[in-house]
Amino acid sequence: MRDKERLHLARVMKMRAVMHISWEYPPWVVGGLSQELKSLLPEIAKRVRTMLVVRGDTDGVTEEEGVRIFKSASSIRSSPHILAYIHALNIDLLRGASAAIHEEGSVPLVHTHDWVSGIAGVYIKACFGAPLVTSVYTTELTRSKALGSLLSMGIFDIERHCFNRSDLVVVKSPEMKEHLKENFGLDGGKIALARNADELMEAYRGIQG
Amino acid sequence: MRILTITWEYPPHIVGGLGRHVHNLSIHLASKGADVTVLSFTDGTSERHERADGVEIVRVNPYVMRYPDFVSWIEGLNMLMVERAADLGSFDLIHVHDWLTAYSGIALKHMWRRPLVATIHATELGRRKVLSNDSERHIHEMEWWLAYEAWKVICCSKYMMNEVHSSLGCPIDKISVIHNGYDPKLARANSAGMSKRKARTVLFVGRLVYEKGPHLLVEAASLLKDCRVIIVGDGAMRPYLEGLARKLGVSDRVTFTGHVDDETLLSIYEEASVLVIPSLYEPFGIVVLEAMSLGIPVIVSNTGGLDEIITDGRDGLKFQSGSPEELAKAIARILDDEGLRARLVENAKSRAKEFSWKTTADQTLKLYKKVLEEYNANDWKPKASARW
Repeated sequence: MRDKERLHLARVMKMRAVMHISWEYPPWVVGGLSQELKSLLPEIAKRVRTMLVVRGDTDGVTEEEGVRIFKSASSIRSSPHILAYIHALNIDLLRGASAAIHEEGSVPLVHTHDWVSGIAGVYIKACFGAPLVTSVYTTELTRSKALGSLLSMGIFDIERHCFNRSDLVVVKSPEMKEHLKENFGLDGGKIALARNADELMEAYRGIQG
Repeated sequence: MRILTITWEYPPHIVGGLGRHVHNLSIHLASKGADVTVLSFTDGTSERHERADGVEIVRVNPYVMRYPDFVSWIEGLNMLMVERAADLGSFDLIHVHDWLTAYSGIALKHMWRRPLVATIHATELGRRKVLSNDSERHIHEMEWWLAYEAWKVICCSKYMMNEVHSSLGCPIDKISVIHNGYDPKLARANSAGMSKRKARTVLFVGRLVYEKGPHLLVEAASLLKDCRVIIVGDGAMRPYLEGLARKLGVSDRVTFTGHVDDETLLSIYEEASVLVIPSLYEPFGIVVLEAMSLGIPVIVSNTGGLDEIITDGRDGLKFQSGSPEELAKAIARILDDEGLRARLVENAKSRAKEFSWKTTADQTLKLYKKVLEEYNANDWKPKASARW
């Protein structure tokens, strides 16, 4: 473990702040994730200072229900497929996350949601030594059943990379925990089952092991 | 001054002019005392970390993942580059080359809050003329994003400056023109080669792709009676060009060598009466400087950087870009007039001396200093109290 990472893990124990990164949050609704976060984040914000970096139509900072929200607009519009788009989107999410971190002057615990915001978390962990948590709701394998194309294989490989880089992977069901152990070779001790804010806070505290 | 240069090509992995530019620039910057780290690509056949010619070279291997296409391959490479950069310490400035490393440059800029300099060697719109699918549009938009995020943009010619300004909307006062150089070792090694020149041999050196215009030379050859043509290089157009030569009845006078090593290229240069660069798109054209320094008369199309390097009738001949008839006339004129050839060669040698990688490095270093002066006078930087 690098010095800056060790130093930061010690800071995390004080739970100064948590930064969630997502590609959707109401009113930008793509699927269930936005509603999930809309319920969860205000609850987290009652327990620890909470930031959210999310895709927006314009760059900007707002505050809702105790959550400080950093919106980041997409810089480009065209991509040949979802994998190319997500790489570019994550650099935009990273712009918002960097702005938040520089405003704070310190590094929060970073929590990303599925691979679509996972790449930004990998960047922040690498450059700032932030402890990284990734929530997994679905994977390319559960969505596509089989890796039947190079695009699916590419997404699977990015998922694996993001999960491997994470200090903690959060799931909502024992079945998903088994799926990650079996298909991604993840150590069960790194996977936490958390279905509400209290369980998630407990999982955060357990990162140091 | 500690510089992080990010490039997808660096020796031994060279694709085109970009790699040669970054290699020579890095070496000359290092010789001037700059602390240069080059972050680049490996396919597993080159060292992951080495020091060569005073330059620290760090490479990442993207083949740890699978990719459906070139764009996502580049994005995966950039992702791994960002992770690797995090372990290389702090830098004063980040310098990236073309959209190919824009992703990592922009990411590191925002995390580190250090200035980003971008060299835009060529553009997708310039290469393709039209953006016909989402990959091409993605690349074009990444070029826009890079030009937007960069503190300063470097172009290798005024032509490219105008292109980056007009097609990427980059403010003109943000762009600096810094010409490429060439390797004078080639000319020194060949100083005795002049005597071997064979009569009426026309040479083309370059990738066999449409934008380089090799088909124009084959067509021009069919309009000329007594000359032979040597086409050095390889590419997607080669089967078409060989077929075109057969169709036009000149296959006995047009030789395709494919890709050759430097030594063979030098011996081919020794045989040439004239070098033709018939490009339809040419941001700079390093090969023209090499030929000029070797004492070979040159004919270039009146486009891009070539148009700025050559003054028609003084240090080379120019022809209307895209016209095989005009090219044929220029070739005949040069082959038939010994006095003209001698005059062009003499002037071209002194013109070529105005370009060198040393000058490229001097001007780039001057730009770095200006950027850092502006950065230091600016508030956009990490807080003094920041803890990470």
